Amino acid sequence: MRHLFWMGVFAVLTAIVFGVVAKGSDRQRLVYGLKVFGEFLFVAFILGWILYFLPLG
Amino acid sequence: MVARQVQRSKVETPGRAWLIGLAAWAVPGLGHLLQRRWARALLLGGAEWGMCFTGLWLGGHLFRPGASDQGFGALLQLLPMAANVGAGLLYIFCWLTGSGFADHAQMVTYEYGNTFLLVAGLLNYLAALDAFDIAAGRKE
Repeated sequence: MRHLFWMGVFAVLTAIVFGVVAKGSDRQRLVYGLKVFGEFLFVAFILGWILYFLPLG
Repeated sequence: MVARQVQRSKVETPGRAWLIGLAAWAVPGLGHLLQRRWARALLLGGAEWGMCFTGLWLGGHLFRPGASDQGFGALLQLLPMAANVGAGLLYIFCWLTGSGFADHAQMVTYEYGNTFLLVAGLLNYLAALDAFDIAAGRKE
């Protein structure tokens, strides 16, 4: 849970910056920020499951 | 065949834009604050300072070429150092006081801390460029 929490914090803070520096109206930037946040989480979950099935340890 | 002439208008970048860019690098959020973009300054400053302090709190460390690093080893330290330098005066303050450079590899969140610190610096470069573009009139 600790890893998930810090990954979420990282995704929130990074998405804020990406959203703020993006071009477009306030609404477009908000949507972009939310999209970036969602993509961070999605990719992290996918990579997490891929690594789970790999014999790394 | 129709010849096309492309006219490029060269617009001078005002000196103020460079100063704003420098201020934005030195103190995250300051570049937007000086241009009265209150909400953006608050969000950028909050996110970047938050990332820096969270990174240090999680046990991350800043990078610098050490005395023991030579050759390729020293070169490898330069890339993450360039990212850390993006944090601006915070990096310089830590460098002058010698704090924030110690390894805390025993902490579970050590790698998270390093990532937070590296990305905070890189994002501040992005924010500084944004402040520069606004000051230069290239962006709203």
